[in-house]
Amino acid sequence: MFNLIAKRLINLIFESLNLFNLKNFILIFILISFFGCKKEQNIPEMPINTTKKSNIAYAEGFSITNGVNFNILEIKNPWPKAEKNFKYVLISAESAAKTTFADDAYDGIIITPIEKIVVTSTTHIPALELLNVEKTLVGFPGTDYVSSKKTRARIDSKLVRELGKNEGLNTEVLLSIHPNLVVAFGVDGKSKSLQTIKNANIPVVYNGDWVENSPLAKAEWIKFFGALYNKEQEAETLFKQIETDYNAAKKLALNTKNKPTVLCGAMHKDIWYLPNGESTEAQLLKDANTNYLWSETTGKGSLSLNFEVVFNKARTASLWFSPSYYTSLEALEKGSKHYTAFDAFKNKKVYSFSNTTGKTGGVTYYELGTARPDLVLKDIIKICHPELLKNYEPYFFKPLL
Amino acid sequence: MVKTQSYKITFTLLILLALILFFINLNLGSVNITLKDFFSSFFTYEKNYSTPEYIIQSYRLPKAITAVLVGSGLGISGLLMQTMFRNPLAGPFVLGITSGASLGVALVIMGASLLGGFATHFLMNEWSIVIAASLGSFLVLLIVLIVSSKVRDTMAILIIGLMFGSITAAIVSVLAYFSSAEELQQYIFWGFGSLGDLQWKELKIFAIVYAIGLVFTIAAIKGLNTLLLGENYAKSLGLNIKRNRIIIVIAASLLAGTITAFAGPIAFIGLAVPHLTRLLFNTSNHKILLPAVFILGAIIMLICDSIAQLPNSDYTLPINAITSLVGAPVVIWLLVRKRKMMF
Amino acid sequence: MENKNQHIILKTEDLSIGYTSKKAKTIVANNINIELKRGELVGLIGANGIGKSTLLRTLTQVQNPLSGSIHLNKKNVLDYNPLDLAKVMSLVLTGQITSKNLSVLELVALGRQPYTNWVGNLSENDITVINNALLQTNIEALKHRKCFELSDGQLQKVMIARALAQDTDLIILDEPTTHLDMYHKAYILKLLQRLAKETNKTILFSSHEIDLAIQLCDNLIVMTNDVVISGQPCNLIKKGVFETLFPKDLIAFDEKTGSFRVKK
Repeated sequence: MFNLIAKRLINLIFESLNLFNLKNFILIFILISFFGCKKEQNIPEMPINTTKKSNIAYAEGFSITNGVNFNILEIKNPWPKAEKNFKYVLISAESAAKTTFADDAYDGIIITPIEKIVVTSTTHIPALELLNVEKTLVGFPGTDYVSSKKTRARIDSKLVRELGKNEGLNTEVLLSIHPNLVVAFGVDGKSKSLQTIKNANIPVVYNGDWVENSPLAKAEWIKFFGALYNKEQEAETLFKQIETDYNAAKKLALNTKNKPTVLCGAMHKDIWYLPNGESTEAQLLKDANTNYLWSETTGKGSLSLNFEVVFNKARTASLWFSPSYYTSLEALEKGSKHYTAFDAFKNKKVYSFSNTTGKTGGVTYYELGTARPDLVLKDIIKICHPELLKNYEPYFFKPLL
Repeated sequence: MVKTQSYKITFTLLILLALILFFINLNLGSVNITLKDFFSSFFTYEKNYSTPEYIIQSYRLPKAITAVLVGSGLGISGLLMQTMFRNPLAGPFVLGITSGASLGVALVIMGASLLGGFATHFLMNEWSIVIAASLGSFLVLLIVLIVSSKVRDTMAILIIGLMFGSITAAIVSVLAYFSSAEELQQYIFWGFGSLGDLQWKELKIFAIVYAIGLVFTIAAIKGLNTLLLGENYAKSLGLNIKRNRIIIVIAASLLAGTITAFAGPIAFIGLAVPHLTRLLFNTSNHKILLPAVFILGAIIMLICDSIAQLPNSDYTLPINAITSLVGAPVVIWLLVRKRKMMF
Repeated sequence: MENKNQHIILKTEDLSIGYTSKKAKTIVANNINIELKRGELVGLIGANGIGKSTLLRTLTQVQNPLSGSIHLNKKNVLDYNPLDLAKVMSLVLTGQITSKNLSVLELVALGRQPYTNWVGNLSENDITVINNALLQTNIEALKHRKCFELSDGQLQKVMIARALAQDTDLIILDEPTTHLDMYHKAYILKLLQRLAKETNKTILFSSHEIDLAIQLCDNLIVMTNDVVISGQPCNLIKKGVFETLFPKDLIAFDEKTGSFRVKK
């Protein structure tokens, strides 16, 4: 009975994000219905040679092709092992009235700029705020998780509707707020609340930022939102700034001689979960010029190792990042006495983002960390090489006390 | 009595085997530890432990002791239940003990968000899971006993226990439906069972409750043998059936309940070990069976744990998977060899 | 014959047996006044469904009487605690025992439970009693065999040996001769007769073997539709009790041979 849920969740947890990005997974599958705007005239689609692909350097999960009257947004890998790509048309209202598209050619016709949007993950919110379109957010599932002050204020003023928690997305409320678009994320392509939303003609786009393999690739999804709001130029500029800051910090870190050893993660029972060497977390640690003790490992998902192995290798590690959800050294000790045997614990060099939260407990790192890898990198650099970045105060990571 | 000589030899061999396996279990693990480090770890002060010494003394030794207690305790508990219900399919959890413990743990882990701030403070307490599991199994047991005191037939108690198991499972499903991914993950991992999670002070409490359960078990030996003839004969031999029932239930619950509270639900051992013991010793006399089940349970658990540790690899398997994978084929093989069920 | 000084082991006074449910009381038999004396072999006979088992269950405290009282050794049976009762009365029941994996010796030894210590250790005296029981039932040679290896007849002897080992004044057997062939039926009943004489215990058994019971018992308790009569077999025959036991169409009681014959 319970075993089915258990199995699904294990797949969910192990195959998707590793520890740093443990999210609250809400499964929505909102099907796209086609705009069958039948006019007498049939204006054909435009030929390929007048289109131009916009420049996306790191992200592999989406691409934007710019045409004359409309753009095409393609989502390539919305979840691990996804078997199909999704293509959406981004078109203004006037052009939409004049154009017909073949059925089944696209997964959705999206009228831009979006006036009312529903997003489903806190990682989507920073992009809206950076592009100054946060006022278009009308609904969110699990509003307690939101940490940004601006959006919290809107939530408190009831401008953003609560759309449900955990497994249950409230389709009725969603329909009643008439969003132009729902930005969803799928974990494996299966869903609930299918039929009702399908019939209501609300387009749904999958955001695959969490599938990306590098910190900058994840941040580049701000361009995805830029395209939705006809603010591609702004998105481009914003991302350029983030990229520059990131690379500058990376270069700075390379100049140091000191390369401290780093441990991550924590145990459930006696199995230790930590990021593997190819994960974004490990890349950040590498870019910060540290010696993450498992940087040579490969694969997707977290490593799950026996306590003995981790202890043997990392007992003497200088720094310890992100021990699960623990918020203090006392809590850590209560979790398991074994933690106290690590040097990093004894020297109080344990750093976590769990204590940086919004008013209602939402962890800021999960929200802003994806969009601002430059800040995350600087945090790590400051902690690992205190002599650098003299005027910088870590934003997400604080030492556990 | 009959052939006590041969029993002495078998017992001596088994005890030796148990000691050897204990030693092996301590020396096998993900990390290779030399025998020198192994022995020196017993003579070093705790604060001076080197890494291998720490692993031996603070991780593997408590784990091995837990394995011994869990294996023997579940075996004895299973034997008690099989004799009391005169049913070879009974195990330590037929009275709803795991269901009660699961419910308690589910409430603490997943119900915390429903109960708000008070519950999160409680959750910070390292004993919260253990207390919740104990309370849960005790409460369910109490309900089962109250309901079954109105019932004369012992078989009905079995069914009532199973029914309560279903009820608690349903409540747990509802809790699971509304909980977050982290909470579910925590609960599921508790359900995998784990021998390596106990510190010395937790082990002490575990051992004390275990010892009390053992005392009750010994007090029930005579009654258990009498029950071999059936309840009618037992009554005619002067056995106070109700009182005996209570002693057996308390013994089995203390053992199985405290094991589930500290190590999570461990499958199969309670059911299989009494059968294996009966087959090996070819007797139904509880004066022989109880110590035999004790040792054999410890042996099997040590073997399962050593396998689960996947020596020399970085990974470990959940103990429940191993107990079932190892236990079931062994019982089948023994039954096929002997061609009939001794009971 | 009748010795007025013979000790009365079991006595019932106006005993009424039956079942109670929420709605009604079902009386199976009432006005039961019987006496069992020391060293007697007593047979309980009657037609199917007449209530023999009910009577035995009531006497052995498995179920409660509707009214009336039962006295064992002059003490009301309700005043006995289970352990003391076990030292005065033992049973041999029909039906399989749960664990056939016991050896004969282990099973007979269980008869000593009311006398052993809290963990069930046997004293020297216990062992003597057990061995005697084995000898008296002629199963010494089977001592170390497992019960599932025995035939029905042998198993029956083992159960009787166990009851003997319990060393009680009264042994009650519920249909000890079902499943046995004619020879063994006679063997078991003869064994019971001998045991009653040798050990001076009172043995009460229920049976369908009316002719054997008439031949071997000191006393008979006969349950008919109307009444429960007890007395010596010869007296009961004279009173013509057996004629009213069964419907007359198929079988008739022959006084001379003391048995039932099929009508031609």
